[in-house]
Amino acid sequence: MFNTIGDVKAALSAQQYIPSDEIATTVFLAEKLGKPILAEGPAGVGKTELAKVWAAATGRELIRLQCYEGLDETKALYEWEYAKQLLYTQLLRDKLNDLLTGVTTLAEAADRLAAEEDVFFSSRFMLPRPLLKAITSERPVTLLIDEIDRADAEFEAFLLEVLSDFQVSVPELGTIRARHQPMALLTSNNTRELSEALKRRCLYLHVDYPTADQELQIVNLKVPGLPPKLAQQAVELVQRLRGMDLKKHPSVSETIDWARALLELNVRHLDRATIEKTLNVLLKFEGDLQRARRAMVRDEGDRARRERDEPGRPRRDDESGRFRGN
Amino acid sequence: MDQRVVDFIHALRAKGVRISLAESIDAMRCVEITGIADKQFFRSALRASLVKEPRDLPTFDELFPRFFGLDAPPPLQQPGGGMSPEEREQLERLLQQMLASLTPEQLRRLFEMMMTGQGMSGSQMRQFIDENTTATQMTTGFQPWATRRALRELQFDRLEQLLQELLQKLREAGVSEAALQQLEQEARENREALAQQIGREVGNGLQQREAEERRRRPAEDVQDRPFEELQHRDDDEMRAIINRLAAQLRTRVALRQKRANKGALDAKSTIRANLRYSGVPLDIRHRRKHLKPRITVICDVSGSMRAVTGFMLMLVYALQDQISRTRPFVYYRTIADVQADFQQLRPEDAIRVVPERVQGGPWQTSLGSCLETFTRDHLDAIDRRTTVIFLGDGDDHMSPPNPRAFEIIKRRAHRVVWFNPEPPYRWGREDNHMHIYGPMCHAVHHVSNLRQLVAAVDGLFS
Repeated sequence: MFNTIGDVKAALSAQQYIPSDEIATTVFLAEKLGKPILAEGPAGVGKTELAKVWAAATGRELIRLQCYEGLDETKALYEWEYAKQLLYTQLLRDKLNDLLTGVTTLAEAADRLAAEEDVFFSSRFMLPRPLLKAITSERPVTLLIDEIDRADAEFEAFLLEVLSDFQVSVPELGTIRARHQPMALLTSNNTRELSEALKRRCLYLHVDYPTADQELQIVNLKVPGLPPKLAQQAVELVQRLRGMDLKKHPSVSETIDWARALLELNVRHLDRATIEKTLNVLLKFEGDLQRARRAMVRDEGDRARRERDEPGRPRRDDESGRFRGN
Repeated sequence: MDQRVVDFIHALRAKGVRISLAESIDAMRCVEITGIADKQFFRSALRASLVKEPRDLPTFDELFPRFFGLDAPPPLQQPGGGMSPEEREQLERLLQQMLASLTPEQLRRLFEMMMTGQGMSGSQMRQFIDENTTATQMTTGFQPWATRRALRELQFDRLEQLLQELLQKLREAGVSEAALQQLEQEARENREALAQQIGREVGNGLQQREAEERRRRPAEDVQDRPFEELQHRDDDEMRAIINRLAAQLRTRVALRQKRANKGALDAKSTIRANLRYSGVPLDIRHRRKHLKPRITVICDVSGSMRAVTGFMLMLVYALQDQISRTRPFVYYRTIADVQADFQQLRPEDAIRVVPERVQGGPWQTSLGSCLETFTRDHLDAIDRRTTVIFLGDGDDHMSPPNPRAFEIIKRRAHRVVWFNPEPPYRWGREDNHMHIYGPMCHAVHHVSNLRQLVAAVDGLFS
């Protein structure tokens, strides 16, 4: 599919995603080696997005499995459709009566029924869940296993088996082998330690907050109408917020949301009033908001004092809204 | 190249990065695919296949340039490029003369390498250094120091003097000044290259030694360190540790509750769930009512207890979703309710200010009178669902033990638990009253590190 790492970069960029060298190389290797990728990093840096664009770039279908505490095989792999089975038994009652006519003993009746058991435990009555879907799919797919760290350790162990051989065994049907090996991407927010065994089987990709340049590129790409100067200021502010001691730092998706909000509000210049009004798009905790506001006020105070002390010094535009974390 | 990658993997392991055989094989395959033409891609390939923990990334970034960087020492050149054949013969002859009488042996070898340009391979140089210096035995493991020591022990600075001697002899033998200048220049370059090579090999030697030592010493988990050692880490790191432990505890609690199918049959929910099976009860639902614990935690904030108190409070506040109500108290000479602090500030900030809410100084812990005050003023913090946790060493330097007050607390509470960071052999000695309070508690836990603390907190949820 891809011959060089450059191809990967170009294909992902065509999907409006800006891959770092790190990301492009890892995707390329995953394609070549057929190994799953484990992407780790803070929330909202584009891990899930990567799976989406990867699927789009290769023209594969994306199958997503969202993990949560208590997720088990019946939700992830397959489940027997009891209701349908019951319905069929009801509807087929006459047929069953026919089958059992002329039977004299109970054992014989049971034998005859057992011979028909396959009808009820066939793929007809099976409800495939994401993992089975990914494995049995006719066409190659990209499998996204989102937030694996939220699933229990036992599910992780089960996943190991699937990811290493790409086959599952259903007791009633036997082993189902993947027709095409799905390209798998696992994401984790690192809220708990994943097992060594799982990490060993994956290529590891650490996605961190982008640098200012990268983030500016992303904003320009995703919010094309935003004036360049404003985009620059917005990104600088976000980067500064990330330097502060906050409960939750603004993510890339929140930067984009904020940039969109600024565009909608038709903001020309990023002054303090605008920031005050729209800061809640970036920061989602009351404590964090207060902290950021306090830092801003303190910084303005600093600047005013500095100007008073050195009146000759011209005021530079890019210093507005400048503040640091404590 | 393969050998270099293998060496690199060894070095990473030496620094404590866990790399399995499967991962090193992957690394080789990755390198095969990406090739080594583009260094950035090569680096990403190694990184994706070898490093699986964010905390190991800095180690990788530190070691990578050392192994694949451009800072490899330049190769030695044969000096005497600008000399005529006769002059070169002169040089050869005089050099052999000097070498024949030169001691010690290692200096002779160095001088020979410098003047002939025939160096040693990395491993030869390593052996040479190990045999002739003590640099790689240094315990500090700081490369520049060790390198300096190696150069000193090899008498490296005498090379300049020897070079001048040789030049003088050549001058007397009538070699032209221009050729001599060039020779001097080339010899100096060789000497620099040698110094660099020695520095590099000393660094490798130190690393190897470190790796061997690490192999002998089992890896120590942060959970097993005593609290005092963890005290000085920064907030972010502490928070990360606590959050991780809290998540672990939460999963454990959730799993236990899921497995424990001890609730009564929930008829309503079962009927609703089984409507789709035409009323055949295939899916039995149980009434699961988990009473979340109410916790009143009474912490000692005397100097020696601050670290463990901090961790305990942070852990309790990280687990707020599992606890229905928390009431924190701190005591020293006096006792104070610090709930307000935790409502206004973030836990890590609150922990820093709460010791100021009480009076006290060294050797002024007054547990007995604090218990008295508590039973007088704060008994509303305890009801029959509350688990009371005492966190402290049980020392009391100012007042007699107060079992009466303790009994009042115990009667009102659901459970009384004591977490004590002091080792049990100290309980009940001198001013310690643990032997009186301990038997009155429902449970006493010795918590000297995070692992024990987590196990003890886990016990609250069962």
